Amino acid sequence: MKISTLFLRAGLGGTGLWLAMWLILSGCTRAAAPQATDKAAIASKSSIIFSGTVSQVGATSFADVPKSAQTIVVKVDSVEKKPAAVSLKKGDSVTVEVKDASAFQEGTRATFYTDGWIFGSGVAVKELGHELGAAAEPVPMTTAAKPSGQGKDEISDQELMERMKASDFVVVGRVMDVHKWNVPKPKSGAPSRVTEHDPDWHEAVVEVQSVLKGGKVKGNKVIVRFPNRNDVAWVSSPKFAKNQRGIFCLNRDQSTGAPAGGGQQANSYTCLGHGDALPITEEARVRSLLKKL
Amino acid sequence: MKAVAWSRLRFLAPTCLNIFLAVLAALSIMMSCLLAAQGQAPPAPPPSIAVVDLIPASLSGESNQDSEPFLAIQNQNPQVMVASAFTPNPFSMTGNAPVYVSQDAGKTWVLNAITPVQRMTCDITHAMATGENHPRGDLHAGTLACATGITLDESESNDVSLSTTMNIQSTRGNVDQPFVRALGVTSGDRIYVGLNDFNQSSGRTATIDVSVDGGATYKSIPIEARKTAGQDGPSVRPAVANDATVYAAFFGWRKFDGKTATSDIVVVRDDAAATGANPFQVLKDPSDKQSGVIVVKNAQIPWSNAAALGQERIGSTLSIAVDPNHSGTVYVSWADKGSKGDTYTLHVRRSMDRGTTWSKTDLPGTTIHNATNCALAVADNGVVGFLYQQLSSGRWVTHLVQSHDGFMSAQDRVLATVPADQPVGQFLPYLGDYDYLLSVGNEFRGVFCANNTPDFSNFPQGVTYQRAADFKTKTLNDGAGNLVPISIDPFYFSVPVIP
Repeated sequence: MKISTLFLRAGLGGTGLWLAMWLILSGCTRAAAPQATDKAAIASKSSIIFSGTVSQVGATSFADVPKSAQTIVVKVDSVEKKPAAVSLKKGDSVTVEVKDASAFQEGTRATFYTDGWIFGSGVAVKELGHELGAAAEPVPMTTAAKPSGQGKDEISDQELMERMKASDFVVVGRVMDVHKWNVPKPKSGAPSRVTEHDPDWHEAVVEVQSVLKGGKVKGNKVIVRFPNRNDVAWVSSPKFAKNQRGIFCLNRDQSTGAPAGGGQQANSYTCLGHGDALPITEEARVRSLLKKL
Repeated sequence: MKAVAWSRLRFLAPTCLNIFLAVLAALSIMMSCLLAAQGQAPPAPPPSIAVVDLIPASLSGESNQDSEPFLAIQNQNPQVMVASAFTPNPFSMTGNAPVYVSQDAGKTWVLNAITPVQRMTCDITHAMATGENHPRGDLHAGTLACATGITLDESESNDVSLSTTMNIQSTRGNVDQPFVRALGVTSGDRIYVGLNDFNQSSGRTATIDVSVDGGATYKSIPIEARKTAGQDGPSVRPAVANDATVYAAFFGWRKFDGKTATSDIVVVRDDAAATGANPFQVLKDPSDKQSGVIVVKNAQIPWSNAAALGQERIGSTLSIAVDPNHSGTVYVSWADKGSKGDTYTLHVRRSMDRGTTWSKTDLPGTTIHNATNCALAVADNGVVGFLYQQLSSGRWVTHLVQSHDGFMSAQDRVLATVPADQPVGQFLPYLGDYDYLLSVGNEFRGVFCANNTPDFSNFPQGVTYQRAADFKTKTLNDGAGNLVPISIDPFYFSVPVIP
């Protein structure tokens, strides 16, 4: 297998491209240390990873997938990673939209690092990278690259890193109290609105035990506002319960409509996204990922 | 109108014929049960009726609550359709929310993640007008994104078979329940998006966003003329006839106490595609000379943002449909408290003079107890279709009723009858705050959501599953033999229009 192929097609940006070109020009066919790192990076971005053999080029495996010179059909030899919802197994034929079709011909064997595209009677994916040869060496996987069966509510390393990057604070804490919270009426006197998506805001009082990202928390307690409504708009938002311990990704409250200001408002946050509240058992993973930010 | 498992004709017929038909129906049901118990399909249903589970085979492992369905048909190329539901992106928490696309008139469907919303919408409706030469477009969608706040995007796709993300043409916050209709004209698609716009002044929130240039620009037109209880109800529904007559129906909330909305059922009309200086002001109610005819005054509409009808919430069920070729005939349906003992009752009324006057009582047989998700459509031959879902004896029963004479006579097809207590809801809405019905040629096509247990007795007209299902054991699997729990799926149907 040629590591250059993997890097060239990985879409890692200008630096990766120049690195790959340098590797090609230098005749390097195999590299040790960077290979594992970049393979892990691509694997982390990939939602579907499988090994297989090209059976057709310029073709598709099922109707409704736009056929082009970039589409090839690959017969699956093994599945390394896929979402639980996706039906994909050895022997299936997958349409892959590749970046450079000239790298493939019938009989080419490769491991494909891909993202989902179209789901019908079969699976169609878009290539993020590939590795020529028989089944690739095992990817140095963390949660993002678990084998098939990944739970639908599990957040990948990549997504968790993005969430933590966007958070003002990441804290370890315990929920001391939960109570309903009514958004103060704005000074304009505008009435509150009735919709099916009403969040039914609640407040959790969280005792901060350690701060993993962000500055010191005044008084070691924060107010975390969260939607308690079981409406579709808020189904992915964490719900808090008294005595719950966990790791919480917090943002300063800009969502509830509460007027900005000092006092309690200054110490008020929201925790709204999928994966923003994790069980305490995830602490080691979170700390590890934070080091990569 | 009670739930029945086969067509019901209210035509007068000789008694002996009735007896013969009853015996025939009983034998048919007995044979169906016998064959279903043996794991075989029941006798072939009438060949032209189709019911299809939209979940593709390659997503057989999914168990999401894919509720609140919607449908768009490319009228110039009706092989192409787009459906939607609360279906999350199957491979990414941050990827685009998907839609279902069919290019063979509903026989098969694929999932394509092209909406501009991340992962899953929290409201989506759409229409495919045909003013431009895009045989797999133009899909116009109104979507709500609900990541941290609620944002409306009005967007377009010129080719729904591609993976190109829909182009956002207009966006803003503080609105609810966009509902898209469109009419294709040579000068550009005309798009009408009913929505509850909290940006409107004085609590007159019922609004139609109008575009007459294919979505390049939108103008928000408030259609409520009267004082409200701070706002109108969430449902604002436009309907468009071929002659560019545009109607809209909405709930004019006059009082609201948190549990009940005292509401007028109001209809407005525009005769020039809503392009004039004072759109939607043609109809005046004789009681106060204000714009908008009051079909029913002070209806008592229960509001519950928790499970109230089975596992479903209630509070804003409304539909309007106009005869596409005779724009003077228009139907409206809504749900309210109804009579004592009912949770939620549907009604259908009709106007035959362009919305000026309305039937004083419900059309015959259209007072439907403990039911929701009314959807109306009128076919080219004037036949009206009435889709609804009724909670009956612990089951959600989905009906499509057709009539060519204002429901004096009617044909009722039960499309699905499924347990109402399974699966346990993951969120609200359980089935959806709406389902949908359209007409094209000699077909009614529509979508509804239901428990997806593969059991032929749940689908009296027959059903086709794309996903891996074993009708013998009545179980789902992931395509590799591993069991998958039952869930709520969207179902497409096609039913021939009665003559």
